[in-house]
Amino acid sequence: MSLTSDLERLLGPGRVRHHPLDVAVFAKDAGVVPGSVLAAVLPETTQEVAAIVRLANRHEVPIVPRGAGTGLAGGAVPTEPGLLVVLTRFTSIEDVDTVGRTAWVGPGVINLDLSRALTGEGLHFAPDPSSQSACTIGGNVGTNAGGPHCLADGTTVAHIYAAELVTPSGDVVVVGGEAPDTPGLDLRAVVVGSEGTLGIVTRVLVRLMQSPPDVATLLIGFPSVESAAATVSDVIASGLIPAALEMMDKRMVAAVENFVHAGYPTDAAAVLLAEVTGPTSTVLADTERIADIAREHGADDVRIATDDDERALLWKGRKSAFGAVAQAAPDYYLHDTVVPRTRLVEVMNQIYEIGDRYGLMMLNVFHAGDGNLHPLVAFDAKEPGMLERVQAAAKEMVKASIEVGGSLSGEHGIGFEKRDLMPLVFSAVDLDAQARVKEAFDPLGLMNPDKVLPSGSRCFDAAGVRL
Amino acid sequence: MAWITEHPPRTVDLDSCVTCGLCLPMCPTFRLTGDETASPRGRLAAITAVADGRLTVDERFDEITSFCLQCRACETACPSMLPYGEVIESARAEAVAQVPHPDQRLRRFALGRALAGPVTMRVATLGAAAMQRIGALEALPVVGGATAGLRPLPVPLPSARGGAWGPRDADRVTLFTGCVADTWFTGIHTATVEVLLAAGYRVEAPEDQTCCGALASHSGFGDDAARMARSNIASLTGDDPIVVNVAGCGAHLKAYGRYGDDGGDLAARTKDVTEIVAEAIESGRLPMMSPAGERVAVQDPCHLEHGQRISREPRILLEAAGYEVVEADPGGLCCGAAGLYQVDHPDTAEELGREKADKVAATGTTLVASANAGCEMQLRRYLDDGYEVLHPVEIYARALRRGGTGPAPSP
Ligand SMILES: Cc1cc2nc3c(=O)[nH]c(=O)nc-3n(C[C@H](O)[C@H](O)[C@H](O)COP(=O)(O)OP(=O)(O)OC[C@H]3O[C@@H](n4cnc5c(N)ncnc54)[C@H](O)[C@@H]3O)c2cc1C
Ligand code: SF4
Ligand code: SF4
Repeated sequence: MSLTSDLERLLGPGRVRHHPLDVAVFAKDAGVVPGSVLAAVLPETTQEVAAIVRLANRHEVPIVPRGAGTGLAGGAVPTEPGLLVVLTRFTSIEDVDTVGRTAWVGPGVINLDLSRALTGEGLHFAPDPSSQSACTIGGNVGTNAGGPHCLADGTTVAHIYAAELVTPSGDVVVVGGEAPDTPGLDLRAVVVGSEGTLGIVTRVLVRLMQSPPDVATLLIGFPSVESAAATVSDVIASGLIPAALEMMDKRMVAAVENFVHAGYPTDAAAVLLAEVTGPTSTVLADTERIADIAREHGADDVRIATDDDERALLWKGRKSAFGAVAQAAPDYYLHDTVVPRTRLVEVMNQIYEIGDRYGLMMLNVFHAGDGNLHPLVAFDAKEPGMLERVQAAAKEMVKASIEVGGSLSGEHGIGFEKRDLMPLVFSAVDLDAQARVKEAFDPLGLMNPDKVLPSGSRCFDAAGVRL
Repeated sequence: MAWITEHPPRTVDLDSCVTCGLCLPMCPTFRLTGDETASPRGRLAAITAVADGRLTVDERFDEITSFCLQCRACETACPSMLPYGEVIESARAEAVAQVPHPDQRLRRFALGRALAGPVTMRVATLGAAAMQRIGALEALPVVGGATAGLRPLPVPLPSARGGAWGPRDADRVTLFTGCVADTWFTGIHTATVEVLLAAGYRVEAPEDQTCCGALASHSGFGDDAARMARSNIASLTGDDPIVVNVAGCGAHLKAYGRYGDDGGDLAARTKDVTEIVAEAIESGRLPMMSPAGERVAVQDPCHLEHGQRISREPRILLEAAGYEVVEADPGGLCCGAAGLYQVDHPDTAEELGREKADKVAATGTTLVASANAGCEMQLRRYLDDGYEVLHPVEIYARALRRGGTGPAPSP
């Protein structure tokens, strides 16, 4: 019996996709490199997921969990012929506790849907990746997603109390617990951000936040990237922690404005989008302070949006940035490095320089508040040799960030596409330690293999040496 | 060669998909199934696989593309502004040309010929009117299921085609009469003419215009659609704005650019009736009626909201008619009407239709405004008795009449 026919017996033919066209449909996420899919299945219960995992194990076929497939690192596609376990049908939102501010949700719940479902209760799920209208909670857990508002609130790991996990052997366990601080090893924090390499998350206990009483969003145009970056540093140095501080360069603003028509200043060299939240009096005072600091740095165009529609439009601009790049070229490679805020300008200039040297078109948009850079290379993968050039440039850009004390990935994950850059950040000993964790969870190596850790991470094995 | 039709999906359009996935949540079929083969990005991937020569058009291709409602909600979501509607129409044409289908000939006759001919339309409509009176219309094979929710068909049959109203020296507009709308939704034409006259326009409806071709094009009969388009391009000449009161037709006419420069010219002159009336209200050519304390629920037809990016204007009409506007389902999913969709995918059409009707019912108002004939029928079909579903221009016309701005001329 083949795996697909076993799966069809388990789930019925409608929930097992393996026609060549179906397989082509699932071959990519929002990253660049296509994978190789044997079949995609759409389970509806934890028990089904566990049974699928056991079947795949029996057939020795690799498994890859997938949410909405908006991941940018190829994490949600198999690198060798594998089985995609798609969690989009896990859309329950249960046990909403408005006092303890928690809820048990399915991994297939779309991030924005969760917050929308809770507006009536005055609550929301804080991590707000730019893809929040599409990406799932399961994917957010997988990648430890961040977003503009994670500057003040922290990334996904700070908003997950517990997760139900189908382990690589097909057992069902719960990591973490209802209490914020459970005894024993914090496996919850190990699972969050593990990019589906340690198991399949089937239920999550999320932490909910109270929605702020008042909000204001500022859109500020600057005459230079330097003045925008200096403003970011001074705002943070002044002790303010805005809910969000986002920056875009001129090219990015042009692409975005063409899509949303939100009135972004297309003549500015850089644009800063800042948001402050809290009681009305604080919001007013903070807004003024940020505007003042910006003006001191030469900002000539300060727009303050207080009504919900205008704010939503400004954010729509920011949140469509990556997609809007498609107007420039059919493919894009998105970096996700983090650098110390004080070195922002220096690294950005280096990145532009590298882009120029490789003849690549660069656009920049990033979470300026925490130094999470998203330089974006727009290109056409069909051009011969292009992908290699993009990857070579990528390596240099990552190096530039790491040399000033930065890191490889702020939030998008490593997946497959950034995997081979890991040794730039981690020593052989570090990688080996991570590989051991992976091995403890997944001795067969069938759960999203080839992701995150480059091959040979268990280097001490290869060398025949044991610690 | 993977493609065999004259206008296959264009590579530039397919290439503009960066696979970001932002369109997924907007897609009704993805929302219902969670299955990416039923999502915009997935359908584009399948089409691209054929375009690249990796795979061929087969039955699965037919299934994947025909499950799409062609509501174009994905276009609104797409930051790279991919013209999904045109891509899927071309893909459907390929599927229809390459994958045999049992009712193909009947469909092609119904959508490609009958809708385009005034005589066939009248014969069909008279037959339908008779059957509707004895309750047999919905039992017809293939098309019967699509006729529930239809307004009672009038006998004898009216037609606005060939009509002209208003003073000769006034600003002129051309009324696009359509196929089904002309005979089946005359009340909307009457109201349109009435309101445009009140706004000081002269309205002309050229005799030799024909069906816009949208239904044929959506169903994969691209050649027939092109023939109808060329006929309309030849008929609707001049510089006057072309006023359309069925969102589906308007969206299609606005895409005539694909038929060449003169098609593009026609497209540029095309206006939904709510656009032109809202403009007249805002410039003071038409009155704002004082609020009467009544409420109306507004539904956004996909081919208005996504196909033409119009959502403000119908609300302007309704507010000017003195109503408080209640949102039925802002940013919501397609109602499932979608042309012949309910014939091919009755379960999905019904699920979406019921969902939409429930949202409308939840507003607590019994007057519902919808600017598209197909949505109107779908809403009527799934709403209980006691709801009144009208085009916004009919609601405005009625308020105008009540406001005593003169008697209603009948086309
Ligand atoms: C336009 C755009 C903007 C973006 N902006 C941001 C941003 O601001 N911040 C940010 O952090 N990311 C951003 N991303 C990246 C992406 O949206 C996030 O990584 C998101 O968390 C992925 O969610 P998903 O449901 O699409 O997951 P997928 O792409 O399907 O999966 C992502 C990873 O999680 C794993 N996974 C998915 N579901 C499960 C599960 N149930 N159990 C275990 N593992 C699972 C997968 O195996 C994969 O490794 C953006 C992407 C796009 C296209
Ligand atoms: S047109 Fe509608 S049904 Fe078709 S892919 Fe787009 S959103 Fe989905
Ligand atoms: S939103 Fe546009 S670019 Fe993104 S996946 Fe959908 S069609 Fe492709």
